[in-house]
Amino acid sequence: MPLPDRPDAPFNQDSGPADRGGVRYRLRHVTHYDYGEDVSVSHHLLHLTARPHPRQRVRRCCLTIEPAPAVRSDHTDYFGNTVTYVAVQEPHRTFTITADSEVEVFTPPVLDAASTPPWERVRESLHSLSDPDDGAEIVQYSFDSTLVAVSPVLLDYASQSFTPGRPVAEAALDLMRRIHGDFTFDPTATTVATPLADVMRHRRGVCQDFAHIVVGCLRAVGLPGRYVSGYLRTLPPPGRPRLVGADVSHAWASVWCGPTGWLDVCPTNARAADQDFITIAWGRDYDDVSPARGVLMGGAGHSLSVSVDVEPLDSAG
Amino acid sequence: MPNRDPTLPDPSAPTPVGLRPVPFLQGSLFGEADALGYGTGQVYDEMVTGQGRLRPHWQSFMGTLGPLDPELMAERWEEARRLLHQNGVTYNIYGDPKGMERPWPLDMVPLLIPAHEWKAVESGLVQRATLLNAVLADLYGPQTLTRSGRLSPAVIHADPGFRRAVHGIRVPNDIHLHFYAADLARAPDGRWWVLSDRTQAPSGSGYALENRAVLAKVLPDSFRHCQVERLSPFFEAFKDTLLSLSPRRETPRVVLLTPGPYNETYFEHVYLARYLGITLVEGADLTVRDRQVFLKTLSGLERVDVILRRLDADFADPLELRADSSLGVAGLIEAVRAGNVALANSLGSGFMESMAVKPSLPMLCRHLLGEELKMPGVAVWWCGDDAERAYVIDHLDGLVVKPAFPSLAFEPIFGADLSAAERMALVERINARPWCYVAQERLALSTAPVWQGGRLQPRPLVLRVFLCARRDGSYAVMPGGLTRVSTESGKLVVSMQRGGGSKDTWILAGRRSDSAPAQPRPQAGQDATEPVLRPAANDLPSRVADSLYWLGRYAERSEGVVRLLRATHTRLTDGNMPGATAQLRPLLCLMAWEGVIPWDLTRVSELGSGRALRNALHTSVVDPDHPNSLRAQVLRLHRTAYSVRDRLSLDMWRVISMLERQSQTPRQKLDAAAMLLRLDDLVTILAAIAGMEQESMTRGPGWRFLDIGRRIERALHTISIMRGLNVQGLDRQEEGTQAATLAVLLELGESVMTYRSRYLTTVRRTPVLELLLSDESNPRALAFQLAALEQHVTALPGTAKPGPGAPTASALSIVQAARASLRNPESLRSSEALNTLLDTLATSLPDISNLLTHAYFSHAFARSA
Repeated sequence: MPLPDRPDAPFNQDSGPADRGGVRYRLRHVTHYDYGEDVSVSHHLLHLTARPHPRQRVRRCCLTIEPAPAVRSDHTDYFGNTVTYVAVQEPHRTFTITADSEVEVFTPPVLDAASTPPWERVRESLHSLSDPDDGAEIVQYSFDSTLVAVSPVLLDYASQSFTPGRPVAEAALDLMRRIHGDFTFDPTATTVATPLADVMRHRRGVCQDFAHIVVGCLRAVGLPGRYVSGYLRTLPPPGRPRLVGADVSHAWASVWCGPTGWLDVCPTNARAADQDFITIAWGRDYDDVSPARGVLMGGAGHSLSVSVDVEPLDSAG
Repeated sequence: MPNRDPTLPDPSAPTPVGLRPVPFLQGSLFGEADALGYGTGQVYDEMVTGQGRLRPHWQSFMGTLGPLDPELMAERWEEARRLLHQNGVTYNIYGDPKGMERPWPLDMVPLLIPAHEWKAVESGLVQRATLLNAVLADLYGPQTLTRSGRLSPAVIHADPGFRRAVHGIRVPNDIHLHFYAADLARAPDGRWWVLSDRTQAPSGSGYALENRAVLAKVLPDSFRHCQVERLSPFFEAFKDTLLSLSPRRETPRVVLLTPGPYNETYFEHVYLARYLGITLVEGADLTVRDRQVFLKTLSGLERVDVILRRLDADFADPLELRADSSLGVAGLIEAVRAGNVALANSLGSGFMESMAVKPSLPMLCRHLLGEELKMPGVAVWWCGDDAERAYVIDHLDGLVVKPAFPSLAFEPIFGADLSAAERMALVERINARPWCYVAQERLALSTAPVWQGGRLQPRPLVLRVFLCARRDGSYAVMPGGLTRVSTESGKLVVSMQRGGGSKDTWILAGRRSDSAPAQPRPQAGQDATEPVLRPAANDLPSRVADSLYWLGRYAERSEGVVRLLRATHTRLTDGNMPGATAQLRPLLCLMAWEGVIPWDLTRVSELGSGRALRNALHTSVVDPDHPNSLRAQVLRLHRTAYSVRDRLSLDMWRVISMLERQSQTPRQKLDAAAMLLRLDDLVTILAAIAGMEQESMTRGPGWRFLDIGRRIERALHTISIMRGLNVQGLDRQEEGTQAATLAVLLELGESVMTYRSRYLTTVRRTPVLELLLSDESNPRALAFQLAALEQHVTALPGTAKPGPGAPTASALSIVQAARASLRNPESLRSSEALNTLLDTLATSLPDISNLLTHAYFSHAFARSA
C-alpha cells in the first residue's frame, strides 16, 4: 500500500533557494530484513522520509513496504522529522522497506569561518536568542541525550579546538579535521550499542560514532550540537574522489554558529556538508532518528541488508 | 470527651539536640530517605502543644482508647498484625532477595487531623494538582511557557524525564494528571508544606485503604466515636473518571498495568485492581493491533480502553521509549496517538516530579491560574537559573544540593559537611552543568505519637495525600492519607525501605450540619447512557492460564515428593513397622529413579545404618539447591503462585505461604521424629491446597487449567512410580519383594484404605494394578486423571470447532487412546502387555502438555530488532 508521491509544499512554493542552483538526486534506499522464522506481528518506526530544509527541497518521497502492512501512519516527531509507524500483523519472514525519493540540494553560501563570532559569545547568546521559538528549539541540542553525554574526556578533546576567543565555525571545522585525523574509519570496531567512551578510547568507529563525537564535544563546551542522518552522492562528480560512506546511510553533525545558523560538518570526510550531502532527519543523536527500529513477536534472530543509491538526475552543480 | 489523662510522653524530657534537619530525597514510596529534623525543641507535635497539653481533637480519641495499658495495646498490636497478615499486606524491598513480601508495618495510633485544618490542606492541594496539570498541558502542547521565556527551555530539554515521544498527543479532557500524591510535612509553625510531588504513578493509596480496614477493626470504638471521613467515595470518583476516559461508550474495559510481582508495591496493585473491579495485567498480557490495545485471553484478543498505569512511562513502549524494556507494550504510544486507548496518568505526567520546575510554581500559579499558590513548597533553588545558582553557591553551608531531575540519581550533598576543596569541586561541577542541580533548604518535621517499647513516643512523620481528577477536570482529595513515621526519634529518615512504619490517617468530620460529604457521590451507571465497566472477572490472560497450569503441576509434584519422602522416613525411623525393612529397598530405588537420591545409596540395606543415606534424605527434603528436593519443588510452586497471586484467594495464598515457611531449611538439622512431624504437616498443607482448588475455586477457565496441570502431573507421576518400581517385572519376583512393592504402591497411591475395604485379603498384583491404573472411580488412579482430562480438554475454548490438526484435537485423541488402552483388561494381565502400556503412555502423555502450551500459552514474547 504505497503512499502516493508527496511533494513537500513549503519548499516547492519557495523559489528562493532555486536561484542558487542545486543538484537534483534520485534516492533509493532499500532496507531488507530476514527473520529466519515466522514473525507473527511486527511494529516498526521509520525515519526514512527526507526532510526539507532551507538548502534542500524534497520533490517527492515514497516508501514501499513489503509485505503490505496492516497499519501505516505518519506523524511529525519532536525535531520536525517525518516518522512512519508500520505494523505487519500477518506471519512474515522478511520485511523490506524501499524509500524512493527525488531531492534537490543547493550549494551552501561560501562560509567565511574567520568572521563568525567567538564560540563563547555564541554560547552566551543561547539564553537570549531574539526569536523565542528558535531559542527553545536550538537550546535543546546543548544537553545530554540518550547516546551522547558530555564527559571530561570529551571536554578535554574539544578544548584543543575551542580555544579562547576562536570563531565558532573555525573551531568546529578544526574539531572536524582533528577527528578525521585522529580516528580510523573501521566498520568492524563498533556497533550501534558501543558507548561513546569506548570510541574515544580506541579511536576507531564509523560515521555515526564520529558524528556523536562532534556532538558530544560541542555540548561539552556548551554549544548546541545536532546529529544528522542522510546520504552522500554515490559517484563523485568528475575529478573528485569518491566519499567514504556512499552506498550506505551516512551521518554527520551540525553546529549552531549564531547568526549564520547551523553549519553541517562531516568528520568522516573532513568536509563541510555541501550539495553532495542529502539530509533525511536530525535529532540529538542516532537514537532519535535511527532509520528503522522495530519490535518483533517471534522470529529467530534477524539479518539486515541495506543498499543506498544516490544518483544525480542532471549534471547541474 | 476525655475522662482521664492518658499517659503521655513528657514533652519537657530531654530530646536530642543539634541533629541537623535534612531535606527530602526524590524516590519511590519506600525508597526515599525522607529526612527529618527532630529535637531542636522547635518541632510541632501532632498530639500535644508546646505547653504539654493534649490538643482538643485528640481528647476524644484518647478518651475512647482507654488507659494505655501495655498489655491491652500489645493485644491490639497482635490483632492488627494478624489482620495484616491475613489480608496478605506486604511490600517488597528492592535489591534484597529476602526482602520480598515484608509484612506491612502499621502503628496502632492513627494520625488525627481536624476538619478545619483539612479544609486548608484540601484547597491547597486541589490548586496544586490543577496547576501541575495545566503546566503539563502546556509543555506537552503549545509550550508557550518555554517559548515566552517564563520557563527556561532547559527545564524541559535538559530533563531526561521529558517525554518528547508523547509531545503533541491530545489527551481526553486535557487531563494529564489523573492520580496525584503530595508528600507533606508540618513546619514548626503548624503549617503544612509540600515536600515533593508524585505525578508518575503514585503509590500508597492501597496501603492507606488497608490501614483503614485494619484500624477500624482494631479500634472500633474510637473509629465510631471520632466520626472519621470514609475513603470509599474517593475511589468511586476515581473509577468514574477512569470510565469517562474510554474512547468507547459501550462497556469499556479498564485494566491496571503493573510491572509485576517483583515491584515493591505489587501488593497494592493487586489490592487496587480488586477494589476498583478492574483487570490486573502485565505488559506481556497486552498487544497492539490496528493501533488498538488488546488483552490476550484464552478466548482471543479483547479490546482495552483505559489503562491505569503503575508502570513508569519510560518502560511503557519498547518501540518508542526504552527499547530494552520487557515490561511494556510495543505500539502503545501509537494507540494513544490514534486516540484508541487512554492512559492514566498520561505518559508525560512524570515530568512534574522535576525539582527544576519547583521554584517557578508560585509564578506559574499566578500566570496560569491567576491565583497565589496556597500551600507553600519547601524552598528550592535551581542552578540552571543564574541568579539562583549564585545564591546557592553563596549559601552552600545552609543548603543541601540534590539532583534537579528524578532520573539523575546521586546522594544529596550537605554543604555544611564539605571541606574547602570538596566545596570547590562541587561548585565546579555545578558550574559545568548547572541545570542538573538544585539546592533545598532544611526542614524540620512534626512528630506524632507512636506506640513503641510499651509507651507512646514522639516520632517524625511525613503525610502522603492522594488526589484524583474528576471527569470535568477538577480534583477530589482522598480524606485521609498514608502517614509514614520513623521508628527512631533520632533517625534521619522516614522510609519504609529502611524500617519505618505507617499510620492510618483520620480526618475528623466536623460536627456542623453542613459537614455533609464534601464530594458529591459519582453518578456512574445510573444514567442509561453512561458507560458501565466491563466486569473484570471474565478476563483470563493467557499468561495467567499458563501459570495456573504450572501451579497445578508443581502442587501435584510436591505432593508426590512429600509422600515418597514420608514413606521412606517412616520406615527408617520405625523399625517395628511391619514390613519396614523389605519395603525400604523398593522405596530407595524409587527415590533414586526419581532423581531424589544417588543410586549408590540404594544398596544400604540395614536400617539406621549409613550416615550418607541419612544425610541424603535430609538434603532431599530441605536443600533448595538440590533440583529434585521437596524444598526446590515447593519454591517452584511458590514462585508460580506468586506470579498469579491476584488470582488466588487470600486463604489459598496463606496456605501456600505456610507451605513455603514449613519447608524452609531448619536452623538445626532435624532429628528423625521432628522430620516426620514436619513431613506430616507438609502433607496436610498440600492436601489443604488441593482441597481449596476443588472447593473454593470457581469453575472458570482458570480453574480448568490448574486442574489440567494437576491431572497431567498425577498421571505422569503414577506411570513413573510404576516404572520406577518395575511393576512390569513383578510376577517374576519372589513373594516377599512382590508384597513389599505392592504395599509401597498402595501407600504412595493413597489407596491403602480403599484396597483393604474392598479386598480384605493379602495384597495381590492384579487388584492393586486395577485400583491404581484402570479404576475410574479412584481419584488416585490413572484412569481417573484421563477421564478428567478428557472432560477438561473438551470444554476448553476453541475445542468445540477445531480445524484439522488443531492442537486441542490432537490432545483429545491422545487422552482418548490412553483411556481405551486402559479399558482393555488384557493390558494389565501379562508383563509384556503392561510394559507396552506403560511405555506408550510415558511417551504420549507428555505431548498433551506440549500441545496445550502450543495452543494457549505460546504468545511469543516481543524482542527488539
